[in-house]
Amino acid sequence: MRFAWLALRNLARNRRRTATTLAVVAAGTLALVLTAGFVAYSFDGLAEAMIHGGLGHLEVAPAAAVEARGAAALDRPLEHALAGWEGLRERLEALPHVAAVGANLQVMGMAQGPQGASVSFVGVGAEPDRARRMGFEKKLRAGELLPETAPREGEEAALVALGLAGALGVAPGDIVTLLATDAGGSLNALDVRVAGLVTTGVQELDSRYLELHLAAAQRLVGAGLASNLLVGLDETEATGEALAAVRAAVAGEQPPLAVVPWTERALFYEQVRNLYRGIFWFLGTIVFLLVVLATSNTLAMTVMERMRELGTLRAIGTGRGQLAAMILAEALWLGLLGSLAGCLLGVAAIAGINRAGVKMPPPPGAVDPIDLRLAYVPEAFAGALLLMLAVLAVAALAPVARAVRLSIVDALGHV
Amino acid sequence: MTPSSAPLLRTEGVVRRYRSGASEVTALAGVDLEIAAGEIAVVAGPSGSGKSTLLHLLGALDAADAGRVLFEGADLGALAERQRTLLRRRRLGFVFQAFHLVPVLSALENVEYPLLLDGVGRAERRRRAAEMLDAVGLAARLGHRPDRLSGGERQRVAIARALVHRPAAVLADEPTGNLDSRTAGAVLDLLADLNRSLGTTFLIATHDAALIARTPRRIVLADGRIVADSGRAA
Ligand SMILES: Nc1ncnc2c1ncn2[C@@H]1O[C@H](COP(=O)(O)OP(=O)(O)OP(=O)(O)O)[C@@H](O)[C@H]1O
Ligand SMILES: [Mg+2]
Repeated sequence: MRFAWLALRNLARNRRRTATTLAVVAAGTLALVLTAGFVAYSFDGLAEAMIHGGLGHLEVAPAAAVEARGAAALDRPLEHALAGWEGLRERLEALPHVAAVGANLQVMGMAQGPQGASVSFVGVGAEPDRARRMGFEKKLRAGELLPETAPREGEEAALVALGLAGALGVAPGDIVTLLATDAGGSLNALDVRVAGLVTTGVQELDSRYLELHLAAAQRLVGAGLASNLLVGLDETEATGEALAAVRAAVAGEQPPLAVVPWTERALFYEQVRNLYRGIFWFLGTIVFLLVVLATSNTLAMTVMERMRELGTLRAIGTGRGQLAAMILAEALWLGLLGSLAGCLLGVAAIAGINRAGVKMPPPPGAVDPIDLRLAYVPEAFAGALLLMLAVLAVAALAPVARAVRLSIVDALGHV
Repeated sequence: MTPSSAPLLRTEGVVRRYRSGASEVTALAGVDLEIAAGEIAVVAGPSGSGKSTLLHLLGALDAADAGRVLFEGADLGALAERQRTLLRRRRLGFVFQAFHLVPVLSALENVEYPLLLDGVGRAERRRRAAEMLDAVGLAARLGHRPDRLSGGERQRVAIARALVHRPAAVLADEPTGNLDSRTAGAVLDLLADLNRSLGTTFLIATHDAALIARTPRRIVLADGRIVADSGRAA
């Protein structure tokens, strides 16, 4: 500690070199906090997009259906569909953090357009009022959304995904005939009016997807049925807490129910997350190495140039440990000041980038371009600061060893 | 000197050789010397005669190849590096030809430095360093950095640094070598004053004829041997 002050003074010897070193450390710090901010924002954005795109925070589904297809599967076979789920929904909606619980009924079959084109579809019967309360967002590209009230017989409507609409040759207002097998095994048909065109955000799904009101789907495949219940929460952070509460609430239901959190259903999310993590660690390692290389050279130079002075300090009673502490303190000051500067730059850069509203091309498999936005990640700022202290400590190893080993007489004679 | 009072500094048959490649230089070839506490002595002799080497050995900066160097009765060769460091920090002071002040520290801070090493508190450090700078006549230059002081002033700061912790002995290697003769005279007066007022032992390696002439004890080296010692003769 006694040498911290002296070390700080020593940094003023060669201001330009000190400034250059600080700039290197600051740049490394900046790279890390920006990357972390980008990754964190992408994680959060991706998670929220998936949750509010229709995944919900929790899924309550028949345990048999989850076992048959796996937790991550989106489809829940009709033979396991829930009946008489309204009471359960009421209980779940009373739980803390639960915004709404919406029932879904999945239907699969053939769709026929007015010109006779016939395409297989996957559809979902949903409850628009619940979807709204869960914060689900529909990406409407033409026409209008489904009304919230259940359609009267003969007035059923559908939202058709762009790709499917193209294949069927339909626009809003056209009639599509849906053919599907009901729970009893007989083939039913239902004429629906195309209310609007939507996109799911995923190209492959867009070529087959359509959405109905739950009541319309039930008319097609079985009255009163639901494939699953989706639980929407008021905040994503509450997922763990709500998962436990919902599991407790459904324990003992017959047939048994499974509760699956969104993290287990969003396989794609986990993969992206791992990819981003890999990139982050890779970048961190590169920054670490680059900054070590750049700074160890400067630190070595500052020691070499001061040999005579260091010899003098040893001659007048500076211990080896004290000399080492002084040089290490110089390095740590560089790490601290440089990374603090980098953090400040990071805050400014994140604010600037977020304000600028830069657009990025859509990620693979997605449809819409995304805003380039960055999050402030406090852990990344703290982590970058600690990392830079470690970097400078590592960079100081060789110079410290040199200073500690110096022969006083040789150093005094050094010119 | 009475045989009963142990000398402050003593060498017994000290040899120091330097090896550079195949050739070997004997810088000191068997030096026997005693310096009593409170003495002021010069080490004279032609360039290369071994003056600096002798001071390095007496100052626990270097180790002899043969013979012994004793400081206050302790064999320096038998001490661990840590103990030699403490000895230099507490019992010895050094003055160099090129001053060797820390450029980023003020005069006051340079003089404080030996006290800082020893963990003396800030207020006391300041007081003692200021007192010492006053004693060398630099009370008005406390805040100046070395690059804003003249050569003579710098050497005074270095002398204050060498004395602030009240060492038993100060070893000075050509302290006037970088100074003009008038400034050199003033620095010598200062050393003589401090020797009298503080009782500090001074051993000064020098070529300076004026300095040699006015110092009572003169040790003359040639080719690593003592060829004359006015103190012994006296
Ligand atoms: N590090 C060293 N390596 C090799 N030889 C050395 C070294 N230091 C001193 N010498 C040699 O030892 C001898 C004595 O050197 P020393 O520096 O003690 O002489 P000096 O009397 O102080 O000379 P000067 O008056 O020039 O300062 C010289 O011959 C010198 O070349
Ligand atoms: Mg010399």
